[in-house]
Amino acid sequence: MSLLHHRWLAEQLPAWEREGIVTADGARRLREQYAAEPRGGLAQVIVGAVGALLIGTGLIAVLAYNWDDFPRWVRLALALGPLAATQAVSWWVLRKGEAARPWQREAAALVQTLAVGAAMALVSQIYNLPGKWTDLVFWWCVVSVPLAWVLRSNAVAIAYLIGIAVWTVAQSQQANWSRAGDVADVRIWFPLLLAGILPRWPGAELRDRPAPGSRFVLAASTLAGLLAVAACAGVRAEQPNDAFFWLAMLSAAVLLLFPLDRHGATEPLASKPEVVLGGLALVIMALIATYEDPARALVKSVGFALPLAWCWLLLAVVVGFATVAFRQGRFAVLAVAGLAVVPLVAAPLSADDISGWPVAIAYTLVLFATAIVLITLEFLGRQGAARIGAALITILVILRMADADLSLLTKGIAFIVIGSGFLAFNAFVSRHRAATPGESPA
Amino acid sequence: MRPTLAVFAVAAVAQWFLPLAGVWQHERVVSRGVPMRIRCLAPDPYDPLRGRYLAVRPEEFRLPRPEGMSDSGRAPVWATLVAGEDGVARIESLSLEPVSGPTVIRLEATGLYRDEGGDTVFVAWPFDRFYLNERLAPDADKLVAERFREGQERPVAEIRVLDGRAVLTDVLVDGVSIRDVVRRRAAETPPPR
Repeated sequence: MSLLHHRWLAEQLPAWEREGIVTADGARRLREQYAAEPRGGLAQVIVGAVGALLIGTGLIAVLAYNWDDFPRWVRLALALGPLAATQAVSWWVLRKGEAARPWQREAAALVQTLAVGAAMALVSQIYNLPGKWTDLVFWWCVVSVPLAWVLRSNAVAIAYLIGIAVWTVAQSQQANWSRAGDVADVRIWFPLLLAGILPRWPGAELRDRPAPGSRFVLAASTLAGLLAVAACAGVRAEQPNDAFFWLAMLSAAVLLLFPLDRHGATEPLASKPEVVLGGLALVIMALIATYEDPARALVKSVGFALPLAWCWLLLAVVVGFATVAFRQGRFAVLAVAGLAVVPLVAAPLSADDISGWPVAIAYTLVLFATAIVLITLEFLGRQGAARIGAALITILVILRMADADLSLLTKGIAFIVIGSGFLAFNAFVSRHRAATPGESPA
Repeated sequence: MRPTLAVFAVAAVAQWFLPLAGVWQHERVVSRGVPMRIRCLAPDPYDPLRGRYLAVRPEEFRLPRPEGMSDSGRAPVWATLVAGEDGVARIESLSLEPVSGPTVIRLEATGLYRDEGGDTVFVAWPFDRFYLNERLAPDADKLVAERFREGQERPVAEIRVLDGRAVLTDVLVDGVSIRDVVRRRAAETPPPR
């Protein structure tokens, strides 16, 4: 059940109790089982965040105009005044404790965050300080994230996640460009920065779960950061960095297999962006590896990656997460995560100068097998994803048909047949789900 | 005090510390540093957070390899500046060891260039941008480009130097602040009909 269903249930329970449909004890147990997160005036929160965002970005734009007609002290006052004012407002909101409305907390935290950025930007503008804007983003994130913790601000948490992903990607690009050691080591910094969100989600009492939108940003930011780390983990001066492909696969597998509690594991796929994004990234990379050159590059990347400590750390995390997933019976995600293991198995069997075709064919077969597993699991009543499995088979057939040396007429007829088969299967799955109450989603 | 208030107080202090550390460090150099001028290039890029600026690139960015410099060519180096008769400073010597003096700047050697005529190192200066009002920046960029095309004297960066640090205070064209030159040109140019 999605959070919307939980909310609907929470809204219905008082009436059901009154009408005697459920007992008070039954209603309590249902509330515990399907806990609905408090709305906290969602519209108010959004309005508060949007208002704060407009004020804050307006402030930055006004300051970035560069008021060079004013003396330095006036510009410093312009930079630091809003910071002092917003800190005072945040203090006032904090003092109100639980009496503070969610939109007040969001607005105060967001405006203060933007005031911090404006102050830092203006000081570096006044003194013509060198340095890239991403350095500014780093410090801005570090000093602003406590506002997400203490004011329980989702907007600041989201901004923080985007900020650390942008910074990590920028560092990775710089490391690849300069191939030197004078760039921040994102293998250390990104996990540390990502851990900075823990006091917000799940929080000190391990209770706060991000809302679906925030969950998506959290998953996307983690994937972007891990891919950026993978892109520069193997960078060494004057040496090729070809470890990326496999490290990227392992990173996607880490996200895909991220452990969930019992309630989280049974949520629909749409509520699990880490599964969607991690799985999608992994499948796309596997589909790319069904071609000869990428397949060869992927197998070679194993050789470049294995000497790296980051690779072993990722492997250890994948094994740990996979064990948890196995114990929870999340066989569908395990099947997809298995795509990341293929290069490790293929590497010892492949000579340096061998063609990439054996691995490309192996990947085609493994993807096909993965799709069959996803379909079978659903029909066995386990967590599966029949439609995704069918879509995967369809994509594989289309890719191979596109490669094949067949006439346009043959290809056209084949595409019509595949498309019709896919639609028919879709209808069949819909009927099967309707006939199977309590079907577990993927 | 509740833990949330304590965390907030620490964060608020950190939020003040970062800009104020920058102010303190650079205000000292600006108010007490030795003024010097360095010839430079200055095209006009854009910073998404801090607005428009002229990218200040001192002419002296490649210098003879100092004795003892490793093959990586990466290390902090101390440059002693000496003002010439034209008022423009040039690097007189480069050292791997800290050197004291009123006109010494700490630079970063960023790479080695091997050449038959002798190895050289690339150096990064502690300033690379001069922020300008967004109204003035495009005209300033045009002005610098025109002068470069016509072979006229390049702009000069006016800096202040103190205790090895340097802060860029202005960019001059023919001894006049580029801001004033651009403003004057804008005032002299009739508005488009």
